[in-house]
Amino acid sequence: MPEPIYLDHAATTPVRPEVREAMEPFFGPRFGNPSSLHRWGREARVALDEARERVAVCLGARTDEICFTSGGTESDNLAVLGAWRARRAQGRNAVVSTPIEHKAVLAAVHQASREGAEERLCAMTTSCTVDTHSFDDLVRPDVAVASVMWVNNEVGTIQPIEELAATANARGVLFHTDAVQAFGKVTIDASRVPFDILSISGHKIGAPKGCGAVFVRRGTVLEPLFHGGTQDRGRRPGTENVAAAVGLARAAELTIAEHVEECAKLTAFRDRLERAIVAAIPDAVVHGRGARRAPHILSVSVPGTDSESLLMALDLQGIACSAGSACQSGSVTPSHVLTACGIRADIASASIRMSFGSLTTDACIDRVAAVFPTLVRKARGQSPMPAASAVGV
Amino acid sequence: MKERVLVAMSGGVDSSVAAALLVEQGYDVVGATMKLFCYGDDVPDRPCCSLDSINDARRVCQQLGVPHYVLNLESAFGRDVVGNFVDEYARGRTPIPCVRCNTFTKFRDLLHKADAIDASFIATGHYARIVDGALHRGLDPRKDQSYFLWGIHRAVVRRMLLPVGASTKPETRAIAHRLGLEVVAEKTESQDICFVPDGDHTKILRQRLGAEAPALSVGPLVLSDGRQVGTHQGYARYTIGQRRGLPGGFPEPMYVVDIRPNERAVVIGPRAELLGRGVVARELNWLGEPPALGANVLVQIRHRATPAAAEVVRVGADEIELALDEPVAAITPGQSLVLYDDTRVLGGGIIEAARRVRSALPILAA
Repeated sequence: MPEPIYLDHAATTPVRPEVREAMEPFFGPRFGNPSSLHRWGREARVALDEARERVAVCLGARTDEICFTSGGTESDNLAVLGAWRARRAQGRNAVVSTPIEHKAVLAAVHQASREGAEERLCAMTTSCTVDTHSFDDLVRPDVAVASVMWVNNEVGTIQPIEELAATANARGVLFHTDAVQAFGKVTIDASRVPFDILSISGHKIGAPKGCGAVFVRRGTVLEPLFHGGTQDRGRRPGTENVAAAVGLARAAELTIAEHVEECAKLTAFRDRLERAIVAAIPDAVVHGRGARRAPHILSVSVPGTDSESLLMALDLQGIACSAGSACQSGSVTPSHVLTACGIRADIASASIRMSFGSLTTDACIDRVAAVFPTLVRKARGQSPMPAASAVGV
Repeated sequence: MKERVLVAMSGGVDSSVAAALLVEQGYDVVGATMKLFCYGDDVPDRPCCSLDSINDARRVCQQLGVPHYVLNLESAFGRDVVGNFVDEYARGRTPIPCVRCNTFTKFRDLLHKADAIDASFIATGHYARIVDGALHRGLDPRKDQSYFLWGIHRAVVRRMLLPVGASTKPETRAIAHRLGLEVVAEKTESQDICFVPDGDHTKILRQRLGAEAPALSVGPLVLSDGRQVGTHQGYARYTIGQRRGLPGGFPEPMYVVDIRPNERAVVIGPRAELLGRGVVARELNWLGEPPALGANVLVQIRHRATPAAAEVVRVGADEIELALDEPVAAITPGQSLVLYDDTRVLGGGIIEAARRVRSALPILAA
């Protein structure tokens, strides 16, 4: 079999060598607990503070606005539940979000709802962007927090965060954005855009799994998820994962430094593959085509196929892609994102997400462009089998 | 180029050994576990179909060095298998969901997946055999599962591989040990219906039909002459031939001999009333040519029932009637009627009714 091709960078990325190198000392000689007063503690504390400062710079934030977490899911939960729990008693019991959020946000919103919150989800357009009129309508002064992802993880559409954050801001509503897929793909500047809380994840940008951060604008009160020590100003008790923080900072810096060049490269990959697929399969549906999209995600459905079969066929050719979201068993479920955007069920359950990044080369794109239409033809071909009604029904 | 085979793997020992044997035989094996039903969180220790079983199948494939996928066939399974299961009980019948799962889910829907990945064959851990393109009983009479396979489309048979069908269960376990598949070698067998994990099928009926459904409501227990002798808590709790849960005080042991959903009645009677001399079946499927009128065949009316000699007295596209040489007990609507020629499966249908008297061949005008 030819060299395997990884087109699933939106799922996770390999740890960059520079990041591993930066983290290395903290597994060995610089193992100290940053809360300790002795020299080991001081060394760790300095590294942690530096990492915080470096992440802050990458987001246009101030150092004290960065809180390290275990990843995107924790950041999102802290944002949604932390904000709602802190504000529910102040006449702000509603939570606004969208039906296309990552499950980390959606499930946190549902949890708030189980605990008594009023849940309001925005209407979507068929281009997989938030209907801003609907957002405007739902974000009233009784809302504790509104949460809208910056870049959708399945389709890659960019949401109008500047506008939404300003709307929320004007009504005293905290605005959170899940920027896990946006970091390094769109410009994020906390000094320019009035979001209050923002989530990022390490493993999408070349840091290890299990690390992330949440930006919390100065003055924003969140109820912590955990209870324990006073680490990170009590926002996130627990001995800090210094190595992960250092790794995240290094990965974030590299990502920002390379951002312009990388985005140009990814856009070229995506556009070339998209053109090739549409040329070979004229009825292929490219999702979010009418909207602004982040350059690293291409989501396409071929009518008459299903994601599951096509993903298997691709994997057996050594090509790793994904569908909507996978459940714990590893099976594919129809995309809740596409369904929420009014995409027909048969099209939604045929979606394939190809996502590009550090492991993508021109040769990868060429090969996928050549193989994909062949596999589609096979997946569309019916076996010599009767319809359900013909056999013993 | 090695021929590709998609192996349906439950995470149990039979299908794991099937996959391992096919790898040994040089096939390009792709393992797949079908996710058919969501239990929610309340069935942690079920031996089959649970998340643990999926993980076991994945581990076995990892050990065999072959890919493994989890295929979500929940909605089709819900429609073709679970929906029918509920409908049949509502009609006072006793369905076998495994038959429909084989017919529609494994050997139709899964075959479509096989097509999409260019797999020539589809394999399972069933105890049955494919010999010269025909379906036969498994060699181990205690494990034979051919009874559940009559409904598959005839064109599929030549694409089926049933690698453990020539083994006994202990032999299969021995092969598992020989191949180092310790994860599954001594796993207990699943006896229940996969979506009825605790053996209580009324739970899902209640969910789907509502607690007030006629099939789950109080009705009369009657004798065949119409005399009421008691009440029951819903005819869906009964099947033909059942003794459990019936009142005592009769001179002979009593059995359920009929279920009349229109009257919500469960009819009970002595063993003599349980005997049928003929059987009518519908929803027919033939793996070869349909049997001819007057043909002598072996029929099986229930899993593990002894095959009975019978004569085809009527056969059409939609319905068949057989006259039984000797009376057969507990012919149950909803169960499968499977016709055999020695060990070969000819085909079958779903039992519609028993005949108390033996029908004769129609006398054909000369």
